[in-house]
Amino acid sequence: MDENLIPISFTINGEKVSKRILPSLILIDLIRDQLQLKGTKPGCLEGECGACTVLVNGSAVNSCLYMAVNIDGKEILTIEGLSSIEQPLHPIQEKMLEHGAVQCGFCTCGIVLTTKAFGEECKKEGKIPTRKEVKKSLEGHLCRCTGYVKIIDAAEDYLTHPSV
Amino acid sequence: MDKNLNIIGKSKPKLDGKERVSGRAVYGHDIELPNMLHARILRSQYPCARIKSIDCTKALGLEGVKCILTAQDVDVNRIGYKRDHPVLKKDANCQRDEIAAVAATSKEIAAKALNLIHVEYEEIEGIFDPFEAMKEESRQINLHGKGKDLYGNKNIAESFHYSHGELEKQTKRSKVIVSRRYELPRVTHCCMATSNITADYSTMDGRLTLYASTQVPFLYQRDMAHALKMDPSLIRIIQPVIGGGFGSKLDMYPFEPICALLSIKTGKPVQLLYGREEEFLASPTRQTMIIDLTSGADADGKFTFREVRITMDNGAYTSWGATTPFVMMQTYSSLYQVAACDFQAKAIYTNNPFAGSFRGYGNPQATFSIERNNDLLADELGLGKDEIRLINANYPGEITGQGLHFKTCGAKPALTKVIEASNFIRKNREKHKGRYLKGVGLASMLHVGGGAKIYRSDGCGTRLKLDHYGYLDIITGSSEIGQGSETVLAMIASQELGIPMKHIKVVNTDTDVKPWDVGVHASRTSFVAGNSLLGAIRLMKQKLDRKAAQLMECEAGEFLYENGLIKRDKKEIRIDKVAREMHFGSPNELCIVEYFYEPESSFQDKQFMGDVSGNYAFASQAVEVEVDTFTGNVKVRDVYVSQDVGRVLNPMGLQGQIEGGVATGIGYALTEEMIYEKGYLMNPSFHEYKLLTAVDMPDIHFYPIETLDEAGPYGSKGAGEAPLIPTAAAIANAVSNALGIEFLTLPLSPEKVLKAWSEKKQNELANSQSI
Amino acid sequence: MNFNIESPTSKEELLNCLRNHQSGYFRLAAGFTDLLIELKKSKTEELTVINLSQIKDKQFTGIDIQPSGIRIGALVNVAQIGKNQSIRKSFPVLQQAADALASGQIREVATIGGNICQASPSGDLSCALVALKASCEILKMDGTIRHESLNDFFRGPAVTSLQKNEVLKSIVIPANQTNKLKSGFIKIGKRSAMECSIVSISYHFQLGADAAILHSGIAIGAVAPTVIFCREAADFLHKLNVNKIHETDQLKVAELIQQSASPIDDQRASAWYRNEVLFNSAKSIFEQD
Repeated sequence: MDENLIPISFTINGEKVSKRILPSLILIDLIRDQLQLKGTKPGCLEGECGACTVLVNGSAVNSCLYMAVNIDGKEILTIEGLSSIEQPLHPIQEKMLEHGAVQCGFCTCGIVLTTKAFGEECKKEGKIPTRKEVKKSLEGHLCRCTGYVKIIDAAEDYLTHPSV
Repeated sequence: MDKNLNIIGKSKPKLDGKERVSGRAVYGHDIELPNMLHARILRSQYPCARIKSIDCTKALGLEGVKCILTAQDVDVNRIGYKRDHPVLKKDANCQRDEIAAVAATSKEIAAKALNLIHVEYEEIEGIFDPFEAMKEESRQINLHGKGKDLYGNKNIAESFHYSHGELEKQTKRSKVIVSRRYELPRVTHCCMATSNITADYSTMDGRLTLYASTQVPFLYQRDMAHALKMDPSLIRIIQPVIGGGFGSKLDMYPFEPICALLSIKTGKPVQLLYGREEEFLASPTRQTMIIDLTSGADADGKFTFREVRITMDNGAYTSWGATTPFVMMQTYSSLYQVAACDFQAKAIYTNNPFAGSFRGYGNPQATFSIERNNDLLADELGLGKDEIRLINANYPGEITGQGLHFKTCGAKPALTKVIEASNFIRKNREKHKGRYLKGVGLASMLHVGGGAKIYRSDGCGTRLKLDHYGYLDIITGSSEIGQGSETVLAMIASQELGIPMKHIKVVNTDTDVKPWDVGVHASRTSFVAGNSLLGAIRLMKQKLDRKAAQLMECEAGEFLYENGLIKRDKKEIRIDKVAREMHFGSPNELCIVEYFYEPESSFQDKQFMGDVSGNYAFASQAVEVEVDTFTGNVKVRDVYVSQDVGRVLNPMGLQGQIEGGVATGIGYALTEEMIYEKGYLMNPSFHEYKLLTAVDMPDIHFYPIETLDEAGPYGSKGAGEAPLIPTAAAIANAVSNALGIEFLTLPLSPEKVLKAWSEKKQNELANSQSI
Repeated sequence: MNFNIESPTSKEELLNCLRNHQSGYFRLAAGFTDLLIELKKSKTEELTVINLSQIKDKQFTGIDIQPSGIRIGALVNVAQIGKNQSIRKSFPVLQQAADALASGQIREVATIGGNICQASPSGDLSCALVALKASCEILKMDGTIRHESLNDFFRGPAVTSLQKNEVLKSIVIPANQTNKLKSGFIKIGKRSAMECSIVSISYHFQLGADAAILHSGIAIGAVAPTVIFCREAADFLHKLNVNKIHETDQLKVAELIQQSASPIDDQRASAWYRNEVLFNSAKSIFEQD
């Protein structure tokens, strides 16, 4: 079996990792089962709910539909990577709490990461998104608890105050 | 009640929110125990079939497979509210039936093993229509059903009959009578975390620990013990962080005892996680119902009577969902003043999947039918849709035909508020032209607000522990499923004891630790657990007051609790010092108290008469829609919600409940439907079962009504279910207002709307030509 | 789900890979957003997937703007298309279709080549590209290139002309011949996002100085076994002033568009609904807002 394993090297949450993986390994399984980063949530495993969203080279992707072999040489950020000893919560996370955007919380981590990616994109383009654009940026996330309103409020609050 | 509230009524972020937003919260999916096995369930290939043989030889031969169970391998009791549900099936009665279960060393091996189990079926033509099931010649669907003896029909699982007033007299004095048949679809909870359980049985001491996402841990413990023929006290339920409940976790389902059995048989921890497709196929649904409702009103617009016959598709087995008529009959008997009501509901066995309980518990269906008929009554009487509702609105002090006592009642203020805020009167009369047609609709609801005495106790226990350093543990029987109950409880304790929120911890996940509670349902947690906590606080204050008086050398009596201090006049002492002195000095006690609260509500009698809840919640919604007559798409633009919540405890948390409920209500009205063909689910994915996205959300305007009901904590009432109950009705009324078309079924899918619209246009054309 | 994977990093390695697998069963994949969903459900045990996403050659991964047109490598992802300024300016229909496809997370990985090769009748990019009269550049195993119009490339639902010894390399969209445009993408579904089209219409009109339609492309999706180019409707519009299309002509266009459709009933919608909505939406193209 071992000769079938494929070597990959990548950075996850700032740490360099090298691994030998099964060719058909999916990114979410690498993250959750092998790297034990459980903040990436398995909501549907078919790219519909967004709970498993992680950033690959800064772009938000569904880790359930991403091949692990294709992260070779890339940078991954999961929700755990947003916390540091000095700053346990990222400003987006603070906003989510402040606005009451978290109920059961299963969808939240993915939403935080998508909002981070969208924020970086806006910054690059030098634009402040409209509420409509904020809603559109969240289209790939399903949430059954909140009705999205407070999530949109929190994301909008963060994205329209880009200094942080 | 009139004291200064500095915590209650102010928005507080979710107490355990940081864990959830940072990925640290441990959900059922995140649990990993040493030596843990992974389980999968083999479900029936057919909705209805005789099983001739099951051959597991090949699967057992697969390396890593540790155990396979079929009906023959287990000695268990049937489960479910009617005990008509075998844990593993000898024959298949619906698509989700559990035929065999595998435990293996990895998820992949377990999945592979399922493919190696060979089952020989003999397919039988299923019965999927409840009316067909009720025919004399139809075969008995659930062989454990008692319908023949109890209700005179072998396929009736449950039946309710309720009435009040003089139906005949009221029918005669009605000026207008409206009769309609409504059909409501099957929808499902769509919890973002799929069903999950991890079972850990110790062969050493025979104890079973279950990490289970249940909403009702103590009933669950008892149900599990019954299923497994075990002593309940040997079963410990630990609730991991729960990724959504909405009623779906009110019953225990077969996968749970199955996982426990696999752990018992292997002596190892076993985890069973549903995939999303399995979640659609095998987790509960809202009842699909056919409702025949006749409503009357007199010349003044006063409601005279309601006569309703409800046929519920029970599916193959009976869950708590079959008792939704308890809630529905309250709505038919008591939503608005009604002189007479005759209510019959039957749950009928079919070979469809069984229903469960779902936020609102029958009330969205009942409210839909009533509020549609109300619009029609108004039209026939030439009354405004606002007027007819205001004329009949419930009022404070009312004791309804069913015996519900509305000691406080915000029905009329709520109606008035949404009528004004939405500019309903003008908008409802406006006629629009062109591609996009606007309409506005109104609906109200009544729901229990102070628990619901259905089980023998509707109570909740609380244990409070104040440590030597002034930190408080609230050990509550209640459960948290995302609704924010732990935050509200901490707020109450902080308010009463003057202890900062960050010094308060809520312990609520372990049946070995927490006292009894009936569970999260019926919008009861803030009310029942809140009152329980207040009771415990009273006891704790008695202890603290006594000691504080002694330490401060003053009279016994009431003190002020503030900022970690106990005060009177100019004297004060730190609360932690009092706790320490109580321990180290006389009376050498710990500052720990326990209280059990049982609401004063009463059981219904045999005729279903009685005041079952501590108080009642009222709400109205006005919805503005825009219908695209080119595509039939209905866009909800604005939702105006006014709700009698008694008292707002945590404004932000409350608003989150409102918005989430409304969103689920919009989905029910417009996009969600489980499509079944001959017992097979055709759309078991988020791709084909359409939940709304952020882009679809309208603006939601919320106006709480505070009636300060003395039964609730600070006057509050339950609020969790109400916001989704009237939404679909209001939307259907709005679409009718926009198009001048009646709709008798949900969801109002684009195709359904467009079809009705083009038929209307054709008829208009035909009529204009014939003139 | 268990399969073997080969990840060529250059055109040469890709050709080698193709040669090695001609005798067996293999699949091509780039973004994997469709293939993984398919494979998760299938019970296939022995399978090799040729993973295109690590190919570095610009002709696969770049957007190349030439006077004659724009060449989009098959591995360009949908998000890149949606954000590309040239595409936004010259081919709004394609940019709008890209933005309407699935979700942001999917668009970051799903590729234009993958979307086309799925040959879904409701493929959003396919619909836009057919209206734009795009053509395919197909790399054959011997290293030569075969050219084919996208319209001809689609042969049926999930069927293309692509042979086992071929890979889609790039898409070419001919340059506009005028600067004035009326170009857009209409997508009808049940909700406002994360939708698979029930009906889609792409239109791209190049206008003369007097707003006369000089070149027109119209394509429709999800109403026939493949995306359909509506030639009669496009021809009918020739030389008409885009701002002054009379109501009877609007109806005529809608009728012609509808005539080129042959929808069927499925779970998402009935043929009746698709016909009706197609007609209504087609009518709306020229309505002044």
